[in-house]
Amino acid sequence: MPELVDVLAAVRRGMIPAHIYNDAEIFALERERIFGRSWIFVGHESEVPYEGDYVVRRVLDDSFIIARDSKGEIRAMFNMCLHRGMQVCRAEMGNASNFRCPYHGWSYRNDGRILGLPFHHEAYGGEQGFKKRGQTLLPAPNLASYNGLIFINLDANAQPLEDYLGDFRFYLDYYSRQSTAGLEVRGPQRWRINANWKIGAENFAGDMYHTPQTHTSVVEIGLFREPKAEKRKDGATYWSGVGGGTTYKLPPGDFRERMRYVGYPDDMIARIEQVWTPDQQKLVGSDGFMISAASCFPNMSFVHNWPKVQDGDDVLPFISLRTWQPINEHETEVYSWFAVDSAAPEEFKKNSYKAYLMCFGSTGMFEQDDVENWVSLTNTAAGSMARRLQLNSRMGLLEDDTPVGKCLLPNEFHGPGVAQVGYNESNQRALLGLWADHLEHAVEKASTMAVGTYTDGIEPLVQTANLGARV
Amino acid sequence: MTSPGFQRVGRGDTYSEQAVLGDHAPRDRRVGKTLPFNDDRHLLAHQFLVDEAYLLDAQSYGEWLDLLTEDVHYVMPVRVTTALGTGYDTSPGMAHFDENKYSLSRRVARFQTEHAWTEDPPSRLRHHITNVRTFATDKDDHLIVESAELLFRSRGDVNEAATVSCGREDLLRREDRWKIARRTIFIDESVIRMQNLAIFL
Repeated sequence: MPELVDVLAAVRRGMIPAHIYNDAEIFALERERIFGRSWIFVGHESEVPYEGDYVVRRVLDDSFIIARDSKGEIRAMFNMCLHRGMQVCRAEMGNASNFRCPYHGWSYRNDGRILGLPFHHEAYGGEQGFKKRGQTLLPAPNLASYNGLIFINLDANAQPLEDYLGDFRFYLDYYSRQSTAGLEVRGPQRWRINANWKIGAENFAGDMYHTPQTHTSVVEIGLFREPKAEKRKDGATYWSGVGGGTTYKLPPGDFRERMRYVGYPDDMIARIEQVWTPDQQKLVGSDGFMISAASCFPNMSFVHNWPKVQDGDDVLPFISLRTWQPINEHETEVYSWFAVDSAAPEEFKKNSYKAYLMCFGSTGMFEQDDVENWVSLTNTAAGSMARRLQLNSRMGLLEDDTPVGKCLLPNEFHGPGVAQVGYNESNQRALLGLWADHLEHAVEKASTMAVGTYTDGIEPLVQTANLGARV
Repeated sequence: MTSPGFQRVGRGDTYSEQAVLGDHAPRDRRVGKTLPFNDDRHLLAHQFLVDEAYLLDAQSYGEWLDLLTEDVHYVMPVRVTTALGTGYDTSPGMAHFDENKYSLSRRVARFQTEHAWTEDPPSRLRHHITNVRTFATDKDDHLIVESAELLFRSRGDVNEAATVSCGREDLLRREDRWKIARRTIFIDESVIRMQNLAIFL
């Protein structure tokens, strides 16, 4: 591999050594220095709405059971029996008060505590030989949620999730907080693509430039009310802390008119007005920008778009969440969820879901053309020629790094961070800038974790979805 | 706890009844045992599926769309791994396809533009249809036909070909000709090993 320091310097100049999209040594570093200490999205609290509900999710190779216990608490436990290391739960979802290891029959409550192990007295001499009281499955090193979005961090000493997300929460709210009731999240659809995980994250972060070319066909078949692909350059891109995204410029109107324009019914708009801050509303109502795709470092992305779902002029907005979970340097498992405000009318939920299926996910018409490109890119990045090529990711910068366009002023764009109108690749550079910052610093020795004892089960998640407020 | 956002239900006799967008779907169900393989109704249903498979291989999607009734429901649930006895093995409230004639017509129209890059160059496709069996319904002009399907899809020259294995249950209805009024596709993987489903099953 070329010297890491040279690779990172090139990336920071916006010249991307092509091999980083298919390089085993780079991926080994990413695994340790990015996925070993970043907050990774694993699911939403509404996916385990009832006592005993669980889902099993991975952070790369590490499998975690995310379960709601009989008191309504949610925990994340490493899915490996303390005895011989078998997965204690081999289903990916369900409802259970406890999990029994199929190998030797050790069983665990859904709060992590050992419930029983066969022949405890005869084989171990009881508590004197093996203290099972209060012993639990290994907890996720760090677990937190925001608007019900559950994240795991493999670094026990990571900064708190709220601090990590920082000002990007302003934008996260558009996708995940449209009423006090919070999101209802369905799925995920899961499929594997022969593409490096970074490509999708970069694309969703800021690639407005690809829309008119890659997605021509979707516009041609009349899925949108107007030929939107050409309008992408009128939108703004923004970046704030660990995330950023793209927007569309809306026709003139006030907040309500513009929300109606993208298909929100009045009762949803009324609930949204109760939870979005004045600045969050001004971004739409005064500045005229509507959020679209976005990414949060390292591998979470968002979609908000508003296609037609039947003949006529009506459009319907949908929200989708996703992660780009790396399998290795050239393969990614995509997890794609549909999300909708849980207080929305049932008819809206149905149509929004239909809009999602038509546009994104395993069968989505946008998605289909995107992945074709990314697979091709990844294949081509494997060879020796790719090690000699630096891809130009400097759109929006002159040779002396002067910006081509101008940044929007605070009264032109009421969100935090930096925003600008028109085609540029500053978001992709920002994402890869964080990537470089992480790869540059070695991890301190991985914190070892003794099997702990917790009389009330392992530490539960501080929930943020407010499921109780559902109507 | 709190009120559910969705119903948790197992696989019923017609999956359309559980699908989010299956309200419009015909509800006809099978009656009795498998029809004998020399029954004329089985022969016509089998031939229908084989003829259809050739249209799908050739990506003759305009002709294929004509084989679907106006009220068609074309649904492919997301399969999930659940413990034995759980009562369901599909993701509640989520599918890969949950389509009516309009959404299928948009998908077909897209392939007919000159800019559907994912299939330009086109995949080499082979829909293998086997284990076909046919059932009567309580209407003479409706048949249920089940089949196993293996799709082989090869693209380019670098990556290995991808396959999708699934079981299908179709409701065929005789209108001016026999057509598909309902298709349920049970894919055999929870994580699809194909870059997209820019194909039909």
